[in-house]
Amino acid sequence: MKRVLQHPAPSQTGKQYWRSLGELSDTPEFRDWLEREFPAGAAELTGDEVSRRSFLKLMGASMALAGFGLNSCRKPEMHLVPFTKSAEWVIPGKPLYYATAMPRRYGAMPLVVSTVDGRPIKIEGNPLQPDSEGATDAFAQASLLDLYDPSRSRRFVQKNKLSDRAAFEKYVTELRPKMAANGGAGLAFLVEETHSPTRDRLRSELEKQFPRMRWCVFDPLLSEAQRFSTQISFGDNTRLIPQFDKADIIFSLDSDFLNCGEGDLASIRGFTSRRRVREAKDSMNRLYVVENHYTLTGAMADHRLRFPASQIGAITHALASKIAVATKDPDLASVLITLKAPTKTQKYDTRWLDEAAKDLISKPGASLIVAGPHQPVVVQLMVYAMNAALKNLGTTLLLRSLPPSKRTSSILQLASDIDAGRVQQLFIFGGDPVYNAPRSITLDRKTKLALDWPDLQKRVPDVVRLGHYEDATSALSQWHIPAAHYLETWGDGLTPRSSYVPIQPMILPLFGGMSELDLLQMLLGQPKMEGPQLVQETFRQTAPPGDFDAAWNKFLHDGFAAHLTPKDQPPKFNGNTAGGVAHTLWTNGATVPTKDSPEIVLIGSYSMDDGRYINNGWLQEMPDPITKLTWDNAAMMSPAFAKHIGVKDGDLVEVTITEPTPKPPPPAKGKPPAPTPPPRKPIQRQLVIAALIAPGHVDNSVTIPLGYGRKHTGPVGNEAGFNGYLLRTSSNPHFIVADGRGVESVSVKKVPGEYALSTTQEHFSIEGRGLVREATLEHYREDEEFVKKIAGDEELPKQLPSLYKHPPLTAPQQWGMTVDLNICTGCSACVLACQAENNIPIVGKLQVAHGRVMHWIRIDRYYASAKPFNQDHGQWPEDPELVHQPMMCQHCENAPCETVCPVNATIHSEAGLNVMVYNRCIGTRYCANNCPFKVRRFNYFDYNQRPVGKKKIGGVSVYQEYLGPLTEKTTADTIKLQKNPNVTVRMRGVMEKCTFCVQRIEEAKIAANVRAGASDKTMIPRDSFTTACAQACPTEAIVFGDIADPEARVSKIKAQNRNYRLLDYLNVEARTSYLARIRNPNPKMPDAGAIAIASLGHGHQDGEKQGGRAKKEHHEGTPQTEAKP
Amino acid sequence: MDGSATAPEVIRGEASTAVTQPLARVPLVLNKRNFDWVTNRISGAVENPTPRWWWVAFAITSAIAVWGLTCIGYQISTGVGVWGLNSPVGWAWDITNFVFWIGIGHAGTLISAILFLLRQKWRTSINRSAEAMTLFAVICAAIFPGIHVGRVWMAWFLAPVPTQYAIWPNFRSPLLWDVFAVSTYFTVSVLFWYTGLVPDLATLRDRATSKIKKFFYGIFALGWRGSNRHWRHYEMAYLLLAGLSTPLVLSVHSVVSFDFATSVIPTWHTTIFPPYFVAGAIFGGFAMVLTLMIPARAIFKLQDIITPQHIDKMAKIILLTGSIVSYAYLMEFFIAWYSGNEYEKYAFYNRIFGPYWWYWWVGMLFCNALSPQLFWFKWCRHNIFVVYFVCMCVNAGMWFERFIIIVGGLHRDFLPSSWGFFTPTWVDIWTFVGTFGIFLSLFLLFIRFAPMIAMSEVKIVLPEADPHHATPEEHHVVAAGGKERT
Repeated sequence: MKRVLQHPAPSQTGKQYWRSLGELSDTPEFRDWLEREFPAGAAELTGDEVSRRSFLKLMGASMALAGFGLNSCRKPEMHLVPFTKSAEWVIPGKPLYYATAMPRRYGAMPLVVSTVDGRPIKIEGNPLQPDSEGATDAFAQASLLDLYDPSRSRRFVQKNKLSDRAAFEKYVTELRPKMAANGGAGLAFLVEETHSPTRDRLRSELEKQFPRMRWCVFDPLLSEAQRFSTQISFGDNTRLIPQFDKADIIFSLDSDFLNCGEGDLASIRGFTSRRRVREAKDSMNRLYVVENHYTLTGAMADHRLRFPASQIGAITHALASKIAVATKDPDLASVLITLKAPTKTQKYDTRWLDEAAKDLISKPGASLIVAGPHQPVVVQLMVYAMNAALKNLGTTLLLRSLPPSKRTSSILQLASDIDAGRVQQLFIFGGDPVYNAPRSITLDRKTKLALDWPDLQKRVPDVVRLGHYEDATSALSQWHIPAAHYLETWGDGLTPRSSYVPIQPMILPLFGGMSELDLLQMLLGQPKMEGPQLVQETFRQTAPPGDFDAAWNKFLHDGFAAHLTPKDQPPKFNGNTAGGVAHTLWTNGATVPTKDSPEIVLIGSYSMDDGRYINNGWLQEMPDPITKLTWDNAAMMSPAFAKHIGVKDGDLVEVTITEPTPKPPPPAKGKPPAPTPPPRKPIQRQLVIAALIAPGHVDNSVTIPLGYGRKHTGPVGNEAGFNGYLLRTSSNPHFIVADGRGVESVSVKKVPGEYALSTTQEHFSIEGRGLVREATLEHYREDEEFVKKIAGDEELPKQLPSLYKHPPLTAPQQWGMTVDLNICTGCSACVLACQAENNIPIVGKLQVAHGRVMHWIRIDRYYASAKPFNQDHGQWPEDPELVHQPMMCQHCENAPCETVCPVNATIHSEAGLNVMVYNRCIGTRYCANNCPFKVRRFNYFDYNQRPVGKKKIGGVSVYQEYLGPLTEKTTADTIKLQKNPNVTVRMRGVMEKCTFCVQRIEEAKIAANVRAGASDKTMIPRDSFTTACAQACPTEAIVFGDIADPEARVSKIKAQNRNYRLLDYLNVEARTSYLARIRNPNPKMPDAGAIAIASLGHGHQDGEKQGGRAKKEHHEGTPQTEAKP
Repeated sequence: MDGSATAPEVIRGEASTAVTQPLARVPLVLNKRNFDWVTNRISGAVENPTPRWWWVAFAITSAIAVWGLTCIGYQISTGVGVWGLNSPVGWAWDITNFVFWIGIGHAGTLISAILFLLRQKWRTSINRSAEAMTLFAVICAAIFPGIHVGRVWMAWFLAPVPTQYAIWPNFRSPLLWDVFAVSTYFTVSVLFWYTGLVPDLATLRDRATSKIKKFFYGIFALGWRGSNRHWRHYEMAYLLLAGLSTPLVLSVHSVVSFDFATSVIPTWHTTIFPPYFVAGAIFGGFAMVLTLMIPARAIFKLQDIITPQHIDKMAKIILLTGSIVSYAYLMEFFIAWYSGNEYEKYAFYNRIFGPYWWYWWVGMLFCNALSPQLFWFKWCRHNIFVVYFVCMCVNAGMWFERFIIIVGGLHRDFLPSSWGFFTPTWVDIWTFVGTFGIFLSLFLLFIRFAPMIAMSEVKIVLPEADPHHATPEEHHVVAAGGKERT
């Protein structure tokens, strides 16, 4: 086959052409080279009998196949452009981590932010900071998306006209002398609570220049009552720090202390540390909860009493009386002595309270009573007095000294000042008072008519607004200044436990925003600071002696000031003062809500907080941990009440609150009486809102989460929900009940119309399936292996035979996970952490309703009731137990999804991961169908490239996802910046699911290999990294690690006897296992027999396995539980 | 040549006198029609000027087909989300329609292959159109697995093509078996159908009056001259193909049923599925054959070829397969109860009383299990309206059955948290209706351009085809097209 190409002989006639000097000279070497050229080149191919011809054949064939596969024509051409100016210290492909903090209502949350190429892509808690220990919550996770929100404010606006920074600077320069002329008398600030010492410092400096200025803090969900009560009970500058880890018995009065959204993660971890049962002999705390609607705290309760929020005072009084009698505590007596017992209270089982009180009394110094911050001052005072009487002060309740802070005034005082014309110049930092300030904020001096904030704001001649969005408040302001995100600015803060933390910028302001500190600096007439000088100046005041730069660097590096230790006060409760205040504020005739005059309870939303996250798609799509509602709020009510007013889920109800008719102003003296003014109409506040039936809600009570219905934000939040603030007045900020004084009547009635609500979970009955397994502590101690007796697991053979060869699990490290249901509060931080880590798109309200939500981890929520109910027959449990179960890919070793995929797109790795190959997936959805856990998520539309959600086109509202190719294939550049570069952004038509954060595993592997160098120590160090969900979890309920290593945390947890796997009978060999939930009821309580019932079969299950237990409870149970089958 | 002009118009009532004589073997072709009549009548349907009703019908069906294809185009360009699918219901109308159409095809293959091997001569009147129906149904069926995937342009990953990735399809996946089973089935069915067509195409070629017709029929007739050699090869090929097709009747729907039976989902994970699906397929297929043949025989005046006897026999098969299917229904419930598995038990409870309860009561119980029981009565089998009613019930019922199996199983499986509900969108509905448009358009084209009844085979079963046949009133000689069979 080999051919030697003969160079044609040179022609002997005509012109001679030569191609090289060698040819011209025609040397023997040249001749040799000429002849050898091809054979020499072909020699490499001849070794294994492949000729050039067959080589060309092969090449041709592979070219044809390559063409057939169109492997090279799939992706559009993209360009990589190098940085012209690189971010500092960047090593391409390596993230950099910076410590910072997120300012929150009750204190800053310490964070560590990963940045890639100078853009922050993921937020974690700061593991060095003792309050944080690396945990975060959903808001912190989602705040990253706010940073990149393309609809964030990006321009200076003056009187609705575009302006710029220079013009604003000029305006401030001109303003300063004007304000200084009268000592800043007309100057007022309306700010949010940020707990920033630097802001306080700048404020003090500003007050030196403008001594008469007003500084007013407003946050619609900040509890004034609690601050005031603490002040009078324990003196100024004190904050109460609950030590849940030291409390054996916890009694919560309408307190949702497990709500991560309030930012106090140390309390949550403290509480759950006492529920982390390793073996049956471990002790547990016990939680009693009295509340009107199910909260995260209520879901964790051992005993829960449904009780109207407006009646908490009455039950607190009853509890306090019992404790006073038992402890004979003089301070508690002095508080109670002047308070008459309420004449009428909501009925409840008095045995319940008796036994709970006895339980509390039996643990002096190891119990804790907490009241919701929104309960009135008297309730707070009684609770403090009870804690003092139970000797809890200094043990389970610390009194922490705060740095002395200046007095601030409330928005009510500001409102009356504005009404009196005393404010000429108002600065509003953040917030959105036009949207969320209380209605009837003050009475007009002249007409005695109630005024709302927008009227007042219009009366201020000059309003400067620093805001993240050009919202309703900006529209009524002369100036709107774009605010910088906390990830874009320098700052500082105090954590809820008053540790000092820095706020570092991760990126320059994307939209040219200013921070509060920048603006205050400008008002001080000082030059603009680009760097941390302002914060440094504050830090200098408390810096340790010695090298300042080193201390500062350590502060930034650690993310908190380790050298500052918080100081606690001696436990002293000021009973006399408290008693006096309580006496004046106590009303013993609080109205009991009735069917026809229910109470209205206004709460902060688990997703929207007070409305500040309204344009955050992640939070909009985060299911409410209790109701599983997305994209909206709704009026939650009990099934019985819903039946009474005749509504079902999604029906519209009209809430009407009528206030007493205002009296006309008295006629001025000396003048003839004016003609009788027309009779005034009573003020009616109305809100039409969709109803949502919430099992476990108390009857005659309607709970409305705030924070929705905020217009004038970006496109994401525009149509979300109903504005509960419309019902909220300064006299009734948290609950409204017709008491005859401030409120004449409250009515809730059905109005025509329905509203589509999108929930992520429709079926809430667990149907007696042993999915969430739970037992009482007593039962667990009797039968340590109870968990295996549910769902027949004990009958399964150890190893089921198999016909097939399974993928080899040969990697040295095998990944697995555990979820401890006993300490999972359901807070959903993991859902958001996963969304941020894994570039999970949002799908919009309609697609959620269609069941196409993309979350890789979801939190299943079931209601279980001692009395069986059939949800399909429209039966609702009235007072059920609530259990959570985080559900993500279980990484079955014997995965049903893998066998059915026709194209090998989902396969098993040697390390036991069920991996998903997006490029290979063609989207048959067979794997999702065959997944028993239904954790696979399909991209029904091109969520990452095309817009979703409603849009008006020619007057018709259409959902853009259905327009497909007619829409523009684009994403906002800033949204692209957020994406994690280590995770593929999925296209339409492919399946996706939890990967156990395979990118993190690979990163750890690479790091281990680099460290190992030439040695063979390539194992990833034990528990050295974890998945996004486990990292975010505030309670460490999720644990991930190497199950091949018996010393790894996950292996030790899996060895516990509470460990079980779901649907074991399918022989799927799940890598994720759950730890059964243990409840710790007080056996003397009347409801003790109806606790921990989620895994008791009823209905379709024969209950044989748990027969013994069910029978036992049958005897012990109250009449309520007699109905058990 | 006008078939109707040469053939006497003897259209007898449904209850032919011939059937009333119980002991005499009822002739397969009534009224003593001769070869000439058969040729003229069947070829006439192709050769006569296109009737107006055909144009009207074709305009309607093709418009529906085009609209259905438009919906498919919309779905491919925008995403599978335009259908009503969700999590947990990842398959709904798409795979329901696929199984439904595939099932319909089976009757054609059963008639042409198994009945051929079993020497059931009555099959000759219906096998051609039943086979055509098979092909068109398989075409409609094949649309759905093709378009239901998220990335249609990557569907070639299903084919075992060697690429530089060196990734093969997953041979453990029943979906892949489907691909092989359906493509084999389609190929063999086309060959079988076409082989049977060759002598008839030659007849049409010989009778063609225009050059174009002559040319095309000539091409497709493959030079058939009816010689002894031709017949010999033809018969052998036909027999071999029948032998090849016979296992396919059983295998294809068994493989389709594996899509469900090999899964873990309650109500899917059932060993009874292969025979149950095959019986169901034949059941539904015969109903569809009757649905098409009853109008066709009236329109083309073929009552002498497709006689009450044929309808009666098909009704009996429907009764038989319907009873097998009903037995399978009962057995599923029994096993669910007997297994003691709470998930299985709930799934079947949910089938009857769950959100899709009426699908079961109407579709499975009334349409599939009860309505065929009418065929126990001879009167019902011979009343064309009752037969047609039952067939329509079965057509609908079999679609409902597949829907209940697929969606009913998916929408409520293990974890109640992920239970859901499926509601079809307009795209779902029109895509399905569109496949009826495609199916009927193809069928209309078929009856317009190809002999809808196998002329040569019908002639073979005429008495005069028997060399020993000699009744005084029959004077015909065996015509060229006919040949003695043993």
